[in-house]
Amino acid sequence: MHMCTIVPISLTVGANRIVPTIAIPHPLGDPSLSMEEEKDIRRKLLSRALKALQTEVSEQTVFED
Amino acid sequence: MKLELGYIFIKDIQFAEQSKVENGTLYVNKEDVKALILEDQNFKSADVELARPGESIRIIPVKDVIEPRVKVEGPGGIFPGMISKVETVGSGKTNVLKGAAVVTTGKIVGFQEGIIDMKGPGAEYTPFSKLNNLVLKCEPIDGLKQHEHEKALRFAGYKVAEYLGNLAKSLTPDEVHTFETPSLTEGLKLYPDLPRVAYVLMLQSQGLMHDTYVYGVDAKKSLTTMIYPTEIMDGAIVSGNCVSACDKNTTYHHLNNPVIQDLFEQHGKTLNFVCVIISNENVYLADKERSSNWSAKLAELLGVDGVIVSEEGFGNPDTDLIMNCKKIESKGIKTVLITDEYAGRDGTSQSLADADAKANAVVSGGNANEVIELPPMDKVIGHPEVVDTIAGGFDGSLHDDGSITAELQVITGATNEMGFNRLSAR
Repeated sequence: MHMCTIVPISLTVGANRIVPTIAIPHPLGDPSLSMEEEKDIRRKLLSRALKALQTEVSEQTVFED
Repeated sequence: MKLELGYIFIKDIQFAEQSKVENGTLYVNKEDVKALILEDQNFKSADVELARPGESIRIIPVKDVIEPRVKVEGPGGIFPGMISKVETVGSGKTNVLKGAAVVTTGKIVGFQEGIIDMKGPGAEYTPFSKLNNLVLKCEPIDGLKQHEHEKALRFAGYKVAEYLGNLAKSLTPDEVHTFETPSLTEGLKLYPDLPRVAYVLMLQSQGLMHDTYVYGVDAKKSLTTMIYPTEIMDGAIVSGNCVSACDKNTTYHHLNNPVIQDLFEQHGKTLNFVCVIISNENVYLADKERSSNWSAKLAELLGVDGVIVSEEGFGNPDTDLIMNCKKIESKGIKTVLITDEYAGRDGTSQSLADADAKANAVVSGGNANEVIELPPMDKVIGHPEVVDTIAGGFDGSLHDDGSITAELQVITGATNEMGFNRLSAR
């Protein structure tokens, strides 16, 4: 599974499960936000990733929400 | 818009009491240049050195290379929005010290600058070994932040290039080249039967000192837009890039963009060169989508038949390149891409991070992972110890005798994606 910002690259290289992230230099955070807001983003993305890992897929799948 | 570039050929560079250009020699007063650099209080010391073609000199780490130019006629000054006012440039007359350059050095990020060898096998890989270089060695004050150091060094380069360019203001050029872009309607009338071609120039804009400036605007904060090619010849686009040396576009590359030169060469003969579209390479996916949507939209609006796209850098910008390609092709417009490759040391790995079947016409600047050997030089200007840590170098790259084993990536301009390099394949 990929957690990544540039989804097209993950698709090109053949990742099965893809969770889009924030930006290349800060995939799981956003320095313009407060620490609490950043932690919230991180928790949501990580939860989404854990959900994606438990989801059966038959083709390349992007987990937008 | 019409611009005359007057080339004054420089065959030698020397220090002298008085800065001037005489019989093809650029004479430079060292103290004047040092004083100019030290106007900026961010520098505690400055030194200036010469590096001529064929001399046993290694320059490391190289940040930018800048060609001295001066406006002789027409509005504005060189590097508008940076050191000249924000006036529209690109028309009238500009004189160029052809064969000379200002090279800026300094340990900014350390791993994201490059090498220029003036002699030996390394010199064959970089176009800047053929120039008479004035090398600026500027040491920052203690505690100066990296981004402030980058900016200070960037401006030192422009100021010295302007200073040298001004020496050419009243000289009669050895050669004059004229470049003219008609309006869209005039162009259609002039060349009704020729294919209309635009050039999508992708600008590195990832932030964290991977930045390019257009009339002083940070390119990452701009939507895709259009520009006359001659504006670029007057320094409307400059590099603020600390990124892998082999495929970043220095300011010299922008001023001398070979895609623009070649399109002008064919303009009115085999094609109608419509204009340049400038697009960025940002770090958010939405930005990549938006900017490439806009490139395709402008190409469609201009009604062009073909587009040349040049990339800057590698890795995630490969996605911007492929998005530009796919979206422009989907408008029924043919594309040719110029890129380079990171195909592993043996050249067998996938060359780009992204790909698409529509990318069926691609020009490569070479494989940046190729391992090369550079012999020691008699003199090193800069900080040789960064060899082990610059992109393309590795622990043990720098040998005790001063020789280097590293990837081609370390050499400034080696796999340039405007095609401003000498690599070819059989």
